[in-house]
Amino acid sequence: MISVKNLQFSYTRQPFIENMSFEVKDGEIFGFLGPSGAGKSTLQKILTGLLRNYAGSVIVSDAEVKRHDNSFYENIGVDFEFPSLYEKLTARENLKFFSSLYKKQTDIDFLLERVGLLHEANKKVAEYSKGMKSRVNFIKALLHDPILLFLDEPTSGLDPSNAGRIKEMILQEKAKGKTIILTTHNMYDATELCDRVAFIVDGKLRALDTPRNLIMSRGASKVRYTYSQNGREEGREIPLNQTGEDSLLQSLLRENRLLSIHSSEPTLNDIFVEITGRRLL
Amino acid sequence: MKPLLRSFGIFMYQITRDNMLWAVCIAPLLVAVFFRWGIPHLETLLCVHFQQQTVLSEYYLLFDLFLSLITPYLFCFAAAMVMLTEYDENITSYMAITPIGKKGYVLSRLLLPAVISFFASMLLMHFFTLTVWPLWVVTITCLLTSLLSVVIALLIFTFSHNRVEGMAVAKLSGLVMLGLPVPFFLSSGLQYLFSPLPSFWIAKFSVERDILFLLPAILFSLLWVRLLYRKFEQKLVQ
Repeated sequence: MISVKNLQFSYTRQPFIENMSFEVKDGEIFGFLGPSGAGKSTLQKILTGLLRNYAGSVIVSDAEVKRHDNSFYENIGVDFEFPSLYEKLTARENLKFFSSLYKKQTDIDFLLERVGLLHEANKKVAEYSKGMKSRVNFIKALLHDPILLFLDEPTSGLDPSNAGRIKEMILQEKAKGKTIILTTHNMYDATELCDRVAFIVDGKLRALDTPRNLIMSRGASKVRYTYSQNGREEGREIPLNQTGEDSLLQSLLRENRLLSIHSSEPTLNDIFVEITGRRLL
Repeated sequence: MKPLLRSFGIFMYQITRDNMLWAVCIAPLLVAVFFRWGIPHLETLLCVHFQQQTVLSEYYLLFDLFLSLITPYLFCFAAAMVMLTEYDENITSYMAITPIGKKGYVLSRLLLPAVISFFASMLLMHFFTLTVWPLWVVTITCLLTSLLSVVIALLIFTFSHNRVEGMAVAKLSGLVMLGLPVPFFLSSGLQYLFSPLPSFWIAKFSVERDILFLLPAILFSLLWVRLLYRKFEQKLVQ
């Protein structure tokens, strides 16, 4: 679906994106993870054909992006980080307008219902909360049933319930065979949704693998337990694969003296910090 | 073609829903009525007051020139205001990744308003001029003023971040019209100091009725478009 080879791009004379190469397979959710200003949104602009003065090769849907004509946009849906909606129009009017630009169209009310906005559809967007705008913006990308979706921070500004609803819809789109490019600095979203993630820092690709492989490749999971000793609470942490050899744990289990026991795995954020030396937020 | 028309449709819809822009689009007609009947009446009053044969009538051609520019200027000002609103609402770059595309957006926001303003300007010039204009001169003058108004729209959009700034830049962009009165008040070679202003060459063409002045008028307009367009294009995808 997407093949990027030796991509280079710069806004100024200083190189910004340097020698980036990767591939995204059909039907995959591929995440770009990185801190603000890392180059994620620029990369999305290149992949969607907004920025065409790049060097190297960027092939999307079997053709070089800079040579695509406007029919290319019949098959891609984009959800920008910030809502792009006419504030003076209602949500329904906005969706009707954007839908009218495409040959293929879907049921607007069905989409509005799925994000819980059907009863608010006739309100002007200016009266919407940030989260409501984000939800309308998200379904705007689905109006023409595109085969390739670019989602930039789709759950940003949403409460957990609505974020869950959006993530469920993303997974449903994947189940339909859509390819999804997810740009985020939310490690939980990336871990939950992405088949593979790419770490981007300062315009460079620093790692690329499945979230699980990235997590497992760096440090084992750990078990932390607490117990009572001479009236005081004591704690201990051991690697998960050494629990069978930990005699203290064995005896605590036998004597029912454990106060608490937790397993902990490194998060994608920990791995990101370890590999790149930078924090995601 | 359909996305382009839809894009132009939403552009017009925004103008009709905005009282200020609606007034801006009606204003050329009011100006035309004032020029056609108000100026001659004022001339009569001034001649009586100053006991002169003529006061304003020597400059009727200049009033006509302003009339030819006012419609494209205000139409393109409205277009720039719509674009700034869309920029503020992140719609400008979104349009570029729909079947409208970047070119379609530019066509529907700059070229189509300029084309409409050309015909509107022709119509006003037909009914409201104070002097006699041959059709070929009106046609060329209106084409040139429409091209100049594209320059003005580019200026306003490129150098403003929002509508408030846009209105300030629009006032400054009025300086681009400064070339119009130059041939009427400066007869020496000094007038060529205003050469970079396309409006100066438009006025020269209309006064002299010489096709020779057409070339610099077009060249300087295109030069301004070229200088501004790159920055404009960068702003479209920001």
